[in-house]
Order: sequence, then structure tokens, then C-alpha cells
Amino acid sequence: MKLSGMNLSRRKFLAASGGAVAAGLFAANLTTLKAVASGDAHAPTGEKGEKHIASSCEMCVNKCGFYAHVVDGRLKKLNPNPKFFKSRAMLCARGNAGAEEPYNPERLTKPLLRVGERGEGKWKEISYEEAFALLAKKLAEHKVKNDNRNSVAFASSEGFQEEIFQMLVQSYGSTNTVRHPTLCLSSVIQGWSSVYGVFPDADLKNSKFVIMFGANRAEAIVTPDTIDFQKYKPEGAKLVYLDPRFTNTAAKADKWYPVKPGTDLAFVLGVINVIITENLYDAEFVAQFCEGFEDLKAMVAAHTPEWAAKECDIPAEEIIWTAREFAKAAPAAVAYPGRRTSWYVNDVYFRRACAILTAICGCWDTPGGICPKASVPLTKIDPLFPYFEKTDERIDIASPVKNLMPNDKRSEGFPTDEVTYLGEKDGSWLRFRDGILSGDPYKVDMMVVYKQNFIEAVPNRPKTMEMLKKFDFMAVIDIQMTEVAFYADLVIPESTYLERWDSVHNLAGIWPIATFRQPVIEPVFGTKSMFDIAGGVINEMLKLPELWDDADEMEVEDFKYEIAEEIFGKPMEEYIKHQMSAIPGGYEQMLKEGVYYVSEEPTYGKARTPEFRFKTRTGKIELANVKYAEKGLSPLPIYAAPRQPEAGKYRFILGRHGWNTHSGTQNNEYLWEIQKENTIWINTNEAKKLGIISGDEVKVTSSVGEQTIKAYVTEKIRPDCVFYAHGFGRLSPQMSLVYKKGASQAAILEDYLEPISGNCALHETFVTIAKA
Amino acid sequence: MSQKKYGIVLDAKKCLNCKACTVACKFENGVEVGDEQYRIWVAEKELRGTYPTLSLDFEPSQCQHCENTPCATVCPTSATYKTDEGVVLIDYKKCIICKACMTACPYDARFVSEVHHAIEKCTFCYHRLPEGREPACVETCPTKVRVFGDLNDPSSKAAKLVAENDTYRLKPEKNTRPRLFYIK
Repeated sequence: MKLSGMNLSRRKFLAASGGAVAAGLFAANLTTLKAVASGDAHAPTGEKGEKHIASSCEMCVNKCGFYAHVVDGRLKKLNPNPKFFKSRAMLCARGNAGAEEPYNPERLTKPLLRVGERGEGKWKEISYEEAFALLAKKLAEHKVKNDNRNSVAFASSEGFQEEIFQMLVQSYGSTNTVRHPTLCLSSVIQGWSSVYGVFPDADLKNSKFVIMFGANRAEAIVTPDTIDFQKYKPEGAKLVYLDPRFTNTAAKADKWYPVKPGTDLAFVLGVINVIITENLYDAEFVAQFCEGFEDLKAMVAAHTPEWAAKECDIPAEEIIWTAREFAKAAPAAVAYPGRRTSWYVNDVYFRRACAILTAICGCWDTPGGICPKASVPLTKIDPLFPYFEKTDERIDIASPVKNLMPNDKRSEGFPTDEVTYLGEKDGSWLRFRDGILSGDPYKVDMMVVYKQNFIEAVPNRPKTMEMLKKFDFMAVIDIQMTEVAFYADLVIPESTYLERWDSVHNLAGIWPIATFRQPVIEPVFGTKSMFDIAGGVINEMLKLPELWDDADEMEVEDFKYEIAEEIFGKPMEEYIKHQMSAIPGGYEQMLKEGVYYVSEEPTYGKARTPEFRFKTRTGKIELANVKYAEKGLSPLPIYAAPRQPEAGKYRFILGRHGWNTHSGTQNNEYLWEIQKENTIWINTNEAKKLGIISGDEVKVTSSVGEQTIKAYVTEKIRPDCVFYAHGFGRLSPQMSLVYKKGASQAAILEDYLEPISGNCALHETFVTIAKA
Repeated sequence: MSQKKYGIVLDAKKCLNCKACTVACKFENGVEVGDEQYRIWVAEKELRGTYPTLSLDFEPSQCQHCENTPCATVCPTSATYKTDEGVVLIDYKKCIICKACMTACPYDARFVSEVHHAIEKCTFCYHRLPEGREPACVETCPTKVRVFGDLNDPSSKAAKLVAENDTYRLKPEKNTRPRLFYIK
């Protein structure tokens, strides 16, 4: 029996020692942690009594609702909010561990100005006021020096205050923003949108047949899907799961197919082939809503299950079974879209095929199928920013350099203006970085970062470190000394999500709900929110005339009133009140319950009425995409066999565990104690060939770099793949729990690009493994 | 005497091994970080089969709140005691950390707490019960593996689950008569 890889016996301790020694050992191991865990750090207010305050989580993207149990001004525990039906009234390990974040002993507490060499870790504490003035001055300097606001880039990560950061960006006027989607889900959004015009959700609570492709919902937690696929699985429903790894989701699935990496599309085409050949599709739905069926039919004719079986290592009879069962369960059947889909260089085609499969079976906007996201009505705040002359085209679009990334013939010949397919603020990280490195057609030599630890998040870490050399100034806003903060020139600490107000946000989906954040405790170290930071920097910017001389005077005056005064000059509560202003009692309900919604029950069918027009070129579900054809892409999802690792090499694949979010949570001791370092999964037979046993230190080498990590020899992975988790092997000494513990993914990942969506392709790296 | 008989019914098949319960327990009960410091746990059972035919089960557990209570029997100071509802608790003031109970417990449910200078273990979050709140592990679980309730009340969900399902208890050969029931 195993408990996180440890033997489950505390009594072994008894054999080795008497009570006093044992107690001494506990204490010795825990000295650095005691200050946090001991409960004696009182709130700065000296407040007494117990409170339960509603707010929402920020430990990952889901934003689950909780009631914070606060005792004498100190946060004791976060309990799930029973009214938060989107997450089915639960709080995961990270959600619970969030209660440690404000008290984390390595939290950033004061703005820091670098005094030593970059990355040397020598800092001088400065005040927030000094930090705001310095940042404003640097923004002005770069605008003047380069005669181009785009010489400053802005990187940010998903979250409720990201919109506030974007307001700071727009107050400055650079169009060079880069966000998280191209490290994550831009290909699945692109793929599904290219068929339905929107990126929909899967109704797992009512689905009778679900195919999941690597979307490890038992461990990569997405609410409500993680709960629904297991807790609410309808009687007799089936889950088919494709993944090169036997994950916890595989353990829960009715069938696990260890698919050959990069061939999921072949599997789906095989399934579509059977469904069309055996006339199992929904002919009426196809005739009424879909465009391009005949083209699809002609294209998949060659993709027989026998053909697919050879490509994807899943037997033809299983493909046939899947197709028949899927069609039988339709329309309550789902080819699950997934979230982090930064897998392969042609990922969008695969996602398109999943969308097409659901479409031809009529699994659209109906219980148990794929449904468009709904949202809750809120009053929008959409202020107008001045138009600045001294801007340019985004660097990831403007830069002509395309040869800094590795090539793959599967994506050769895709059009060259890829990133224009994305949201205007998202950018494409790999193109963005190469554009900065090239300095062509213009220089980008400053960066402002809000909570995006791109040193660990973006593949090819050595290349990212080269990019940093192009910046003569980098400012980072975060709560801990992440790698990006550690290599910055100015670090501005933010309040944690438990210490600040965040505006109301729609969590759109089948079960739409709106939530927000309110401080459950006073900022433990007197830190400020992004809202306060943006307001402070904008005030300082307004003192510098050179920042406003390329904008219309009237627009600048409007800006001063509508944004600087009316938004940032007032407390965030006013912003929230305005958002809720159309709902009588809405603000008060939000404060009390932490949620606002219209109904707890989904509504189906609005998007499958005869008059409904899809947001595609033809207004129909585009099995063959018209715009793609115009762009020089195939309108249909074309399969191309993936490259295979040469002899002696393995494909490095990525995945999640339920107790960490990306690289953001490993330095929280309550999560760290679940997994203290990562280990590399190697198939038993392969390990035998390599002479490696579990616990051995091994060297993992790619064309990008080398990492040393302990081996985990297991049956739970295909022989041609290896895997280790994200967020370990860290460079920042102030992430001390995981500093140099285990291995970093970014340090070995090659920077392949999925050109249609601009997503990175993180499952294309081949590595060698050798005993260290 | 109370007629109540508290227990937990677990459907381990629903467990995702996400560790929400173990982290929730630590905060609710002020259990320190440390490899030996835990009131509840999720065990990953041994992987069965060879690639590609595999199966894996998880077994969340904690103090079984046994009706026959070996830990209380061996306790020289009567620090371990049972409430009217059958919840096994420890009076930290009386505990001398002799560890006889740790040895006696067949479930390895007890440990030395530096916070309390005593042996401690799961209490079914006894302090929450008067407020009508469920134990933290029950409440926070995504798939609601555990159902807590009064096994003597036939209308309780826990009692119904025991009545309607085949259940088993851990280490029946120890004749401890646990109050934790696992659905087969």
C-alpha cells in the first residue's frame, strides 16, 4: 500500500526510537515551517471573533466558491460554498491549501529593486510609491528612446485582475501583450470554433457516452467536469479514455486505450468513417445544420478502422465498437474538447475532427451533448482609452522571422499570418519570443509582467533566458519570488486573492454563475492589489507629459476623468456595485453568498432552432471550413503521421496532478508535502533495457537541455514515452521547497509551434534517458 | 445515553485520489505539515496487471471509530475515550505519549502531535457536529466519497447506504467492529 510514494506506516518510527527522540525529529524537520503552521501570527488588526466570508478561489483557473472561516482575524480554513453549484460545492486540495498563501513564509512583502546582477538575488526594499514612480518613468523613457510604445511588452496570466492589468497596458498604449492561451488551450478553442463558431462545453452530467482524449479530468481538475464524469455519471454510461499514460482518469474509465502519441486524429477519423459508412449519423441534423458533409464523407472514405488501427495502435474492433456506441448514445454523446491542448503541431485539425464527430451525430445543444456556453447578465465596464500614435503592429505578427523554431513537415505550408487568428490580446508566445529575439522590425527592450512565470511556462527555457537579455528593464507583479520575479529588475508584491477585492466575473458554461472576491482578511504584509498598483502607476504616468503627447488632448482629458478618477480613483467596491447595478439587491447578495445566478438549471436548445445562425462564415456548422480554404488551409481535418523518436529516444509527454497548478503552487507546504519532487515515468520493460530502477537518478536530454531527475519505473506508460510533472527543478532560491528539486519541463522542451492557433506543441520533444 | 451512532460510509470507487480531504483535514484540525502528521489518508492500492491491461484502486481512510476499541483498552491513563455517540476521542491533558495505543491500533490511525503534546487522530470533526456541519473531509470531497451520519437513524443517508448496499469493513479479523463502512 502506498501513500504518495511513501510507506504507510508511522509505527515503523516506534521501532527506531523512543518518544523523546521521535518528537525531537519531528521538531527538527519542521523548524522552518513552524512560524506558518503554528497559529500564533495574529491579524494586524487585533480583531476578535469568528466570521465566515464568501469569496472565490484563485489556486487554479476554476474559481470555486468558498466561505472563509476567519478566527480572530486569522484565516483558519476555506470551506466549500454549498451554493456554488458550478463546482458542485467542493474544494480541492489546492483550494484548501490556499489558506496558507497569505502566510507563506516566502511571500513577497515589499517592493524590491535589484541592486546586484540580474538573477543574483540582491535587492533593496523600496516603497510602493517609489515603485509606481519608477515604473512610470521607465515606461516614459522607453517610449521616448525608441519612439515606439510597442518597445514595452506586457505579459500576463489568466485571473480576475488581469483585466485591470490590461487597463494599465491600454493606458500606456503598447499592443504587445501576451497571455496564457498559446501555452494552453488556443488550439482547442480554434478547432471547435472553426466548426461551431464558438468554443462549447461538454454536458458530462447527462452524457451516456464520453470519449476523452488525454483530458485527465481526475487529476487535471475542471469544474464541474471533474465531479460530473465520476459522481454524476448516468447509470450505464461509458467513458472511453485515450492517453499514453494510465492516469487516475484511466483508472476510472470503462476503457483505456494507450493511444500512440500524435495519432488521436486517426482514431477519430476511423470512428467517423464507421459512423458514416454504417449510416449511424443524424441525417436530419446534418441536413438542417451542417455544411460540407459530402466533402467530409469523401475525405474519410479512406480512413477505415483498419487503417486507423495501424496508425494509432488501437484495434479496429475497438474503433468500430466506439463508433457504434457513440452513435447509439447520441445525441447524449461527447467527444470531450479538453483544455490544455498544446500537444502537436497540427492540433487544430484533431480538435476540428472531435467537433465534427459530435456534429454529425447531432450532439449539439442538447442534454448530454456539447453545449454553447451561457452567461449571467452583468453591467459591463468597457472604458475608452486614448488612441496613441506611437504604436506599431504586434511583434508576433510584424516579425518576419520564422526559422528560429524547429520545423515539422505536418505543419509546413500552413499560412504565415497565423497569430491573426487569435484574440487580439492573446498573442502567440513562441512567435512573440522569437520576434523579440530578432529585434526585427523593431526593438522590444522592456517588459512588464503580471503573474506569468513564463521562464517555467514557455518551452525552451534557454531561449527565454536569451530573450531576457534583450530587456534593459523588467518589472514583475506577483505574490512569490517566481523565476520571472527572481530575474526582474523591479518586483512589486501583490495581495493574495484572500486579501483583496476582485471584480465580478461571469463563469460562462452550461451552468453559468457569476462570482467575485472580497478580502477575507486584511493584507498580512500591507500589500496592494493589482487594482491599487495600476491606479498608482497611472497616477504617476499622468505626471509625465511625454507619455501623452501622441494622443488627442480631449481623449486624454476623458481618460483622466473616466478612468483615472472614475475607476481607479474609487475603491474597487464601487466598480463591483456598478457591475451589479442592474440587479436589485445583487451587490448585497454577492457580498453575502459570493455568487449570483439566474437559474441552477441549464437551458438547452436555443442554438438548435431552425432560425439559429452559427457564428461561422456560412452561418452553419462547418464540417468543411470556408475560411480555412481561403487561408490556404485544408477545410477538412487532414491526418499526417507524426514524427517518431529515433532508436534510443523517447517522446516526452506532459500531464497534470490534482494537487498542483502549473508552476504556481509547489512552494505551498501543504501541497509540497503531497509531492516533494517530480519523478520521470519510464515503462518497466524500457527501464530494464536501460538498467534503471525506481529511485535511480537519470539524465534526461533533449536538443534544448538536460535535467537530472529520479526514475519512477512503471507499467502505467507506453514504452515509447516518458513523462514528468510540471513545476519542479526550480531556479528561484526563494521557491525553496522546490528549488533544484526534481526537473523542469521548460528546460528540455523544444519550441514546436501549432501554426493555425499559435499554440505551442509540447508533446513533440524527443529525449534520451541515461543513468546519471 | 445518546441513541446516536455516528459513522461514515465510503464509496471508494468514486475516489479520484485528489487529496482534497487530507488537506482540508489539516487546516480544520490544525495538523502540522509533516510526513507522519496526518489524521486521514488516501492510499493508492497496488497496481494490478501489466501494460496495457491495468487496474488501480484508491482507499481513503482514517480512524475507524471502532466499537471494540483496542486503543482505549490499552490506554493506561484513560486518555482515549468514547463519546455517547461512539466517537473515539483523546483527552490531550491525560495523554502521556506512551504510544501503547499507536501499537494497538490495527489501522495505523494515530500519531504524535507536536501541537497538542499528545497522541492524536481523526475525531469525525467532533467540534463541527453541534453546529450541524459535516466533517471537513466529507464536505470538501469533489465526488462525495464519504457520507457521514447517524447509523442508528434509518432515515439518515449513511444508514440507508449501509442498508441498501453490500458493504465491508477493514480488517474484520481484528474484531474491532469499525464505524467506517465501504461500499463494495
